[in-house]
Amino acid sequence: MVIGVGNPLRGDDAAGLEVASRLQRVTAHQSPHGGFELMDLWLGADEVVIVDAVRAAAPPGTVLRFDPIAEPLPQTMFASTHDLGLAETIELARHLGRLPARMVVYGIAAESFATGTGISAEVAAAIDQVVTEIDHA
Amino acid sequence: MSSEREIAVDYLARVEGEGAMYLRLKDDEVLDLQFKIFEPPRFFEAFLRGRRFQEAPDITARICGICPVAYQTSACNALEDAAGVQVGGQLLALRRMLYCGEWIESHGLHVFLLHAPDFLGYESGIAMAADHLERVEAGLRLKKTGNHLMTVLGGREIHPINVRVGGFHRVPSKAELMELRSDVEWALETAIDTVDWVSGFPFPEFERDYEFVALQHPDRYAIEDGRVVSSRGLDIGVTEWNNHFEESHVPWSNALHATIKERGSYHVGPMARYSLNFEQLTPAAQAAAVGAGLGPTCTNPFQSIVVRAVEMVFACEEVLRLIDAYTPPPQPALEVPANGATGHGASEAPRGILYHRYQVDEAGLIADAQIVPPTSQNQLSIEDDLRSFVPQYSQLDDEQLQWQLEQAIRNYDPCISCATHFLDLTVERE
Repeated sequence: MVIGVGNPLRGDDAAGLEVASRLQRVTAHQSPHGGFELMDLWLGADEVVIVDAVRAAAPPGTVLRFDPIAEPLPQTMFASTHDLGLAETIELARHLGRLPARMVVYGIAAESFATGTGISAEVAAAIDQVVTEIDHA
Repeated sequence: MSSEREIAVDYLARVEGEGAMYLRLKDDEVLDLQFKIFEPPRFFEAFLRGRRFQEAPDITARICGICPVAYQTSACNALEDAAGVQVGGQLLALRRMLYCGEWIESHGLHVFLLHAPDFLGYESGIAMAADHLERVEAGLRLKKTGNHLMTVLGGREIHPINVRVGGFHRVPSKAELMELRSDVEWALETAIDTVDWVSGFPFPEFERDYEFVALQHPDRYAIEDGRVVSSRGLDIGVTEWNNHFEESHVPWSNALHATIKERGSYHVGPMARYSLNFEQLTPAAQAAAVGAGLGPTCTNPFQSIVVRAVEMVFACEEVLRLIDAYTPPPQPALEVPANGATGHGASEAPRGILYHRYQVDEAGLIADAQIVPPTSQNQLSIEDDLRSFVPQYSQLDDEQLQWQLEQAIRNYDPCISCATHFLDLTVERE
């Protein structure tokens, strides 16, 4: 199962949603709210892939891959202005015993989270790359 | 050794939105204190101008992801007032039921995940989950019960889409509501247990002589409408709001500070509602409050967590009563004409009174809008609490003092996003 997280109105933050909307071969959900809702979405799944835009010190469009079962996500990279951020949600799920057996988190380094600007060219290319990787995994 | 010091918190944790606190003190004398709301202004009132009046509930709902129903309800009340239309019967009951869902969801989040960690000494709700698994699970399920009510009645759990001026787009069948019953029964039992749990927390000895302001209704614990009353004798219709309250700008906050014209700071929210309307709480809610050692009024802001839990008990009982008495209304909404008038509306958001005023022109377009959210009304009360609180605790080291002060701010469950339609902490000792 794949879950794309992000705000469709905030520039590159839409990256996760865009990936989820383009996948052909796997079950994909779009979660604009993120937070607590995620735990309900992945309930019962053995393997979960999450795609989110991140604020990273890497060039825009860089694709980072994390294994949050092995170690917590970097908190500041996956912050949310609403609700719980992705890193916090995963830690809460860990305490509650609600993490799936396997989980991969793709973080796509964003250029801008400004409202109404659409997705940048660098992030668009990264979206293509992540879609291909997941669909052909 | 210098006795002056400064404490600054740049980003307050476990509040909704972005805010800060700055404190400069000499011994136990507060030299400067600011509760800062730096989340950028959001200009909702300005961009409502020129929009059709029917759009106001959906536009203003976007001010807050935690209390959208409050915005929708106050907007509907104001626009129905402008049109001279009064919503009653089962439509009003559905509005109240939806609102109870929001109270359960918002109070559930604050009590379990934002506020309880303060009393139990955890940095966050997540850290608390490691040792209090069952409590956190219960809190999440309570929140979910509230969210589920909002989904069934409002079409979705965040920013409901089913509310309209005059009523709803679609009303539920009795069977749809009956399906909710067992969840709400569980929530009621859990809320009663929660009152007992939080009443055992260690509360600092601190009381203040607040002017409480809340809505009051002759027939019921006021949520969706009522008159504006205060513990110092104010008793006005909502239309008279601007004769008694005013908003002003201070340089350290992007949220306007609200005051009562004659007297200054006042306090809105669960403690105000509870203290002004205790007699109208349901029997189980009153019994839970008495069992928790609360009197008919509560003036220790740290005990607001108990009052929120009592209000969850109340909201659950109220939902059960409304479900049982429900019969689908003949039409989902009343016709609301545009007639070129000004309307005023208020309701009790989880954090306190939310006032809206709209001037609508003959064509049904909004010419002017005013929104006064609860957190902007509580800003002065928060600063006054901190000012009174610091001298009692000035012997604490900076880190402990900061922890106590942040907790004093979280007593209000401040919703900064709402207030800026608006936390960091700084303490300086000199």
